[in-house]
Amino acid sequence: MTPLRSWAGRRLLLGAVQAAAVPALVFLLTEALPGDAAVALAGDSPDPQRIAAIRAAMRLDRPAGERFLEWAFGLLHGDLGSSLVTGRPVGSYLADGFGPTLLLAASTLALLVPVSVALGVLAARREGGPLDRLISSATLAVYAVPEFALGVLLTSVFALRLGWLPPTAVGGAWRDPAVLVLPVLVLLARPVCSISRLVRAGMIEALGSPYVAQARRYGVPAARVHWTHALPNALAPAAQQLARTCDWLLCGVIVTETLFVVPGLGTVLLDAVAARDVPVVQGLAVVFGLLTVVLNLGADLLARRFAPRSAVAA
Amino acid sequence: MNPIVAVDGLRIEAGGRVLVDGVSLRVHPGRVTALLGASGSGKTTTGLALLGEYPEGARVSGSVRVPGGPLGHVPQHPASVLNPARRAGALLGDLARRSGQGRSEVRAALRAAQLPEPEAVLRRFPHQLSGGQQQRVVLAQALLLGARVIVADEPTTGLDPLTKARVVERLAAVVRQGVGLLLLSHDLDVVRALADEVVVLRAGRVVESGPAGQVLGQAGGDRPPGLPVPPPAAVRPPSGTAPAGVLTTGTAPTGTAPAGLLTADVLTVEQLTARHRDGPTVLHAAGLGVGAGECLALVGRSGSGKTTLGRCLAGLHSTYRGRVLLDGEPLPRSLRSRTRPQLAAVQYVFQDARASFDEHRPVAAQVARAARRLRGLGRAEADAAASRVLAELGLPAATAGRRPAALSGGELQRAALARAMVVRPKVLVCDEITSGLDGPTRGRVLDALARRLREADLAVLLITHDLAAADTIAGRTAVLEGGRLVGPGGAD
Repeated sequence: MTPLRSWAGRRLLLGAVQAAAVPALVFLLTEALPGDAAVALAGDSPDPQRIAAIRAAMRLDRPAGERFLEWAFGLLHGDLGSSLVTGRPVGSYLADGFGPTLLLAASTLALLVPVSVALGVLAARREGGPLDRLISSATLAVYAVPEFALGVLLTSVFALRLGWLPPTAVGGAWRDPAVLVLPVLVLLARPVCSISRLVRAGMIEALGSPYVAQARRYGVPAARVHWTHALPNALAPAAQQLARTCDWLLCGVIVTETLFVVPGLGTVLLDAVAARDVPVVQGLAVVFGLLTVVLNLGADLLARRFAPRSAVAA
Repeated sequence: MNPIVAVDGLRIEAGGRVLVDGVSLRVHPGRVTALLGASGSGKTTTGLALLGEYPEGARVSGSVRVPGGPLGHVPQHPASVLNPARRAGALLGDLARRSGQGRSEVRAALRAAQLPEPEAVLRRFPHQLSGGQQQRVVLAQALLLGARVIVADEPTTGLDPLTKARVVERLAAVVRQGVGLLLLSHDLDVVRALADEVVVLRAGRVVESGPAGQVLGQAGGDRPPGLPVPPPAAVRPPSGTAPAGVLTTGTAPTGTAPAGLLTADVLTVEQLTARHRDGPTVLHAAGLGVGAGECLALVGRSGSGKTTLGRCLAGLHSTYRGRVLLDGEPLPRSLRSRTRPQLAAVQYVFQDARASFDEHRPVAAQVARAARRLRGLGRAEADAAASRVLAELGLPAATAGRRPAALSGGELQRAALARAMVVRPKVLVCDEITSGLDGPTRGRVLDALARRLREADLAVLLITHDLAAADTIAGRTAVLEGGRLVGPGGAD
């Protein structure tokens, strides 16, 4: 077995353990929350007898361990269970929420990678020059703005005052792609800053290295030196950060989804927690856990490509 | 024959120091001009001047005439100019494309640089190549460019005699193709084997220059040419006055350890069989012992398992079977499970001293930190102990107070030795500590080591391929070949 395969195998095994640990932990945490679905359903006038009746009807009166085992057994057969509140299968919740979330994440990523790499390379081209100072201070400033504040600011200027763009995503992106502009801008803001700063730092280090000096000495044009000789060395740390960003985009951009009324996974999660709808929360946790494991594995593979020596050190 | 490189009265001044003062030299096509000198004599600065590169803020006067087009450059560490994130053929491909050449020309250049199987090398990453392969790839870059002059900076430093001979052959083959070579070296034997013309530099000035036979006949004394290993003090300044600190044979504690001491070895290695993780076995049932005040030299070729044995002792390599005993007590395999006194007792001095220092902090502070961490000294005591040991090794406070970048290779190697000594170890493992140093510097380092050996009752394991160094300081010599102890020094 090649070292790469055995390494990837070990990583996958570790990932499976992690993915299995996540639902157990989530179950424990939701058990620890005060109240349950029965309390939430009983409404504003909690009558203990009525709550108990609902609990019995929903089979919530059984011990927690038994309920967890039943749920875990279903999971092994691909059955995520049904919502306690509506009785709809959890799978349909996930399917409904995944579309908008994926669309938002994909549009953000499609812009994030080229923009942040370009900004990082541009800034690194002349360290300390006017362009570098402009990009560095702008990215630091934008990074310091929390997403809800940026969202509110952008909405009030471009949607409410100027009226150029819709303020929410109600109606859906397929009918009117313009609804995507503001949420994507808000989602882009911080990752662009962090990744471009990582790319810049990596580029500056690579540009000062003897191998870049050798390429220049031997007459390789500046653009080719930047993009094909220096940049690959600057991408390893950025790839890790990119995986973290992907994870964040797919597993809970709750603030942005709520702000722009996007019916994505973040909104599904928020509603499910409010209703103590444990099966839906657990279903989401499983999906998020698996996504995190897969994305980090991908990032590690990518980092190994850009920093092949790390395979020897590891 | 007209020279293709002509340097006249080159003077380079940077940061208030004159690095090169009035250097003149010529390089002819198909011939070798050697720039011979100790480290810090201005060789590299002169070599880079040919490539049109000067230290930052340098003031330059004199004239440097080189042929049009790029000049080839083979640096001392060829790995540094190979991009770690790209395959070895990346730059070669770029260079070929720019000059309208194709893959066949790339392969031809690699073959001309003595790499008979270019395809296998092109697809690998630099860290997957051996040092010799890396050097040949860098040579091939220069050949592919059609460079008419190649500057080779210390191409044989740190290599064992056999590998060194191969490098000499490789460079000679390139020169036969009509390339002019400027060889920067402190290795008299390599210069003798290759050079047609020699320029001897000392402190940035030319002290001697002329045809090789004439200059070397004067400098090399009565030593016959072709001797594979030079004694440590081989490179003497041609003026004939030996610099202070050159090792004299009287300082070596040869044979000071009586036979009876061997039974009470400080360090004992029993049946040590080590392998790399997922890899081959590199040591087979090695056994040896070193007593207090004794130096055991462990010699062998590159790849014979010398370093692995040293790393097992120091707790840096834990995949082994067998036992390592310190004063009769087994030492834990891994650094992490060793106690502080055990950590202090076995100290390791690395081949690459520069890489073993933090580049951002003054050297003296790093030496003092070892005393604080491993001897539990207070800040003031540790500083005092550090500056005392550093001074003993010939590093005044003014030098040791600087960051590693401001120290030469020899100075850093002595600082690394000081960092190990300051914790008062029982066992010192020195891994090729002299291989990157020129003659006088090597003498000073070995001299310092020999003195400490007697004064501190140290048990020293000197890992080296430098038989001369081993002879001058070590009482016994153990020879490793292919992972097996074959020499007389082993315990059994």
